Amino acid sequence: MTAVADAPAAVGAPTRTLGQQVVRILTTTDHKLIGKLYLITSFVWFMVGGVMALLIRSELAFPGQQVVNDEVYNQLFTMHGTIMLLLFATPLFFGFANVIMPLQIGSPDVAFPRLNMLSYWFFLFGGLIAAAGFLTPSGAASFGWFAYTPLSDGINSPGIGGDLWIMGLWLAGLGTILGAVNFITTIICMRAPGMTMFRMPIFVWNTLVTSLLVLIAFPILAGALLSLEADRKLGAHVFDAANGGPILWQHLFWFFGHPEVYIIALPFFGIVTEILPVFSRKPIFGYVGLVAATLGIAILSVAVWAHHMFVTGAVDLPFFAGMTFLIAVPTGVKFFNWIGTMWGGSLSFDTPMLWSLGFLTTFLFGGLTGVILASPPLDFAVSDSYFVVAHFHYVVFGTVVFAMFAGFYFWWPKMTGKMLDERLGKIHFWLLFVGFHSTFLVQHWLGVEGFPRRYADYGSDDGFTTLNQISTVGAFLLASSTLPFLWNVYKARRGPQVTVDDPWGWGRSLEWATSCPPPRHNFVSIPRIRSESPAFDLHHPEIAALEYEDNDNLEGGGVADAPEMEGRKANLDENREGNDA
Amino acid sequence: MKAETWIFVICTFFFVLVAPAYWFVTEDPTGTSALVMTALLTMLVSFYLGFHARKMEPRPEDRKDGEIADGAGELGFFPPYSWWPLWCALTLATMVLGVVIGWWLFIIGSALGTIALTGLIFEYYRGEHAH
Amino acid sequence: MGLELPKRARNLALGVSTGSALLFLSGCSVDEDSDVNRLAMPVPASEEAQHIFDLWAWSWLAAIITGVIVWALMFYVAVKYRRRSETEIPVQTRYNLPIEIFYTIAPVMMVIVFFFFTIDTQDKVLHAPKDLASANAEAPINVTVVAQKWGWTFNYTKGSEVIGSDKALWEATTPGQIGTLWLVEGQPVSIDLYSPDVIHSFWVPNFLFKMDVVPGREATNHFTLTPDRAGTYVGRCAELCGTYHSRMLFNVKVTDQASFDAHLQELRDQNNIGPNIPGIEDSQIAGLFGLSNGGEE
Repeated sequence: MTAVADAPAAVGAPTRTLGQQVVRILTTTDHKLIGKLYLITSFVWFMVGGVMALLIRSELAFPGQQVVNDEVYNQLFTMHGTIMLLLFATPLFFGFANVIMPLQIGSPDVAFPRLNMLSYWFFLFGGLIAAAGFLTPSGAASFGWFAYTPLSDGINSPGIGGDLWIMGLWLAGLGTILGAVNFITTIICMRAPGMTMFRMPIFVWNTLVTSLLVLIAFPILAGALLSLEADRKLGAHVFDAANGGPILWQHLFWFFGHPEVYIIALPFFGIVTEILPVFSRKPIFGYVGLVAATLGIAILSVAVWAHHMFVTGAVDLPFFAGMTFLIAVPTGVKFFNWIGTMWGGSLSFDTPMLWSLGFLTTFLFGGLTGVILASPPLDFAVSDSYFVVAHFHYVVFGTVVFAMFAGFYFWWPKMTGKMLDERLGKIHFWLLFVGFHSTFLVQHWLGVEGFPRRYADYGSDDGFTTLNQISTVGAFLLASSTLPFLWNVYKARRGPQVTVDDPWGWGRSLEWATSCPPPRHNFVSIPRIRSESPAFDLHHPEIAALEYEDNDNLEGGGVADAPEMEGRKANLDENREGNDA
Repeated sequence: MKAETWIFVICTFFFVLVAPAYWFVTEDPTGTSALVMTALLTMLVSFYLGFHARKMEPRPEDRKDGEIADGAGELGFFPPYSWWPLWCALTLATMVLGVVIGWWLFIIGSALGTIALTGLIFEYYRGEHAH
Repeated sequence: MGLELPKRARNLALGVSTGSALLFLSGCSVDEDSDVNRLAMPVPASEEAQHIFDLWAWSWLAAIITGVIVWALMFYVAVKYRRRSETEIPVQTRYNLPIEIFYTIAPVMMVIVFFFFTIDTQDKVLHAPKDLASANAEAPINVTVVAQKWGWTFNYTKGSEVIGSDKALWEATTPGQIGTLWLVEGQPVSIDLYSPDVIHSFWVPNFLFKMDVVPGREATNHFTLTPDRAGTYVGRCAELCGTYHSRMLFNVKVTDQASFDAHLQELRDQNNIGPNIPGIEDSQIAGLFGLSNGGEE
């Protein structure tokens, strides 16, 4: 490839034929393109899982069976959960981290570019295999996304859909593990000069910590999946009831499953952490506190798994209740740091900021219901009910989906060289916000009243009808919000080209010091790095210099909850002279 | 590399405390095994990074006064494109489907997979971009 | 662009959706069991449930207070610090150690308090001895509950003079015929959970309690509770167990001793002389014979 062909859509660059485009995609080793593939594929799975949710909600709108029978219903919620958690949210992390992290650390690509692409293919093929069950006569897996044994064994779920689910997820999980290896290596070994660990953006920290969690959790899942398949196919007895198999499976699954939800959450916390300072015109509040809190959340998350097993009668309740309560503390610290970032700032409610505020509002409620669920006696009452369904949709959807859209609107110019339309974005946000809360707020009530999760039906005199109907209407409203977004994406392709490095004006991290989109190996030149905001130091040195008046101890010589800034003042002075000249 | 080492050391410290605590409180072999393995994982990375951190001079990215020019020169080899990840993935997917559908497919996938893996490993030992 | 508008519209939408949600909720609680005052909790129908309910109410109070404070902070920030001019440059504060330390320590303390109340309540709810035989000996009524795809069998193994011999009396439910578990108001009952196939979960919302029925764990998965309110309550399976999981329903009828005895006599007359434990040899169930039927000793 010549240098001209690699340049971003400049006037006069030769356009590629469709065949060349396809080959370029099939053989790419560019983290930016691989990241885009992850983002697009994940979003497609999001829509597929969303359609399943609409089918589920349609069935639950009225007592009695109208839309699907009980077996298909079970397949729908099993695959909805599997798709949303493992084929949407987890790969979405890889999408964002792939596109943004190397830019933020000033590296030309990831450490293992071919392994990167290999990971994507494993995700794509593994996901297709897992969902291929729908194409078989006995249907897709229908034993719930946690696949409890003995329900998921060969006797109780004999269909091939179960085997496809198990092996497809094994393959996709392998891709996840390899991706995590790639990210950790890149972050440790390929940062630009001057980018010490405590000058990395918080998004990069979160990527590192999340990748560590992946290395801890996913191999356990892989082992458990293969053991289950051995039981199903090879006549093994790993999960036999006589051997304590059912509880063994739950320990193994949740040892993976709980860190998994933090794998899903932490990167998106990182995205919000990048956005808030830009639209508050202030640096991130409590940088070191955020790093410590992220690490604290990660390591604690490995020690809380059996809070999913409180009602099994098989686990030590105080240990897991205590650990789960503890994890609320660093999460709260992050929350207050986010508020502290906005406090005293100059806030503008552009779409990325709107989505971030939506995340904060929603996640707060989910976090509170989580603390309630952490208490075993309260869990005895509401576990396995719609209260739990409401809780996890608030935390997961609240984090992943809100922060995903925040990240899309924020980084769209960086990824594509075009801006997404603000007005459409606001319509998108409000439709989704109202739709989401209408769907899931009432589900708390339903669960407490006694409506179990994974029920295909309920009686007409159960008293569940009205709330279910509100929830169903909300779900369709929520789904409709995707339409303005898709229209926005399509429209933006014809929009004006972004010609500056930083269209938002107040970008802080290194990705805003290169073009929109960046060249093949990311940077033509890199500014000097003396803080966690090298692009900001380059573009607004006079404002960055104000930090020394507004904060103590930034130049060392005392404790400061701030990034590593030795030598920054001199750099800022130099930049100001350069600007004045 | 010292800061990175410390991150993993902190994690190791936590798991080294929690794993025995978990055993004494619950006597559950499953969770204890998983926590011990986790401690060993973070310990492995800590030792590796610590060993190298002690032996090497601070790299430009470890230095607070690192200048971009310090990183000048060749950064490494970045494959411009490659077909082999696709072939490797297709063959592994075939093996995975073979587990589900039948051992004949698994064997076909393994044979093709060996070729694909060999291709991936030795891709840059020959041809246009040979090392 | 009206920068203030999105924020106001946001709060308007929040208010409208919350308000209308509450409106709907109050209108739809026709069933006195799910009163708004109890935050949707069914009326507690056992002594243990009352403790759970108290913890629930206090926890929600604390949670709502915390939520309101944080939402208020966010709302305040969004209004007070909204951009008023394009060239505005705010104070570039990066940290405030005293405040950060405060909001690290305060949640730790809140969590410690919640932990102690949790353990306290938990001990009151799970007060049965760990050993099944002892638990059965303590309680005047024993029921071995069998959950199998997709119905329930209730084996009364102790609790009435009607059971004169050493066999249990049983009654069953099917998806088509929802059966009833009979209990006596004020009488503790030790319930043992057995499954011959997959994991199920025994949930009675009015007892604010559920426990999983795990294959192989009948010796450990048992609990004791004392119903303290007469009435008929709904029971549901709460762990996905296959195609007809949603159809695995039962009722619980809490009544007086005389009615209970009469009902057991009916079972004896119908020749429902058990035990009826699908999938297992009678002699292998701990607590069914000998050890647990302490009434005669």
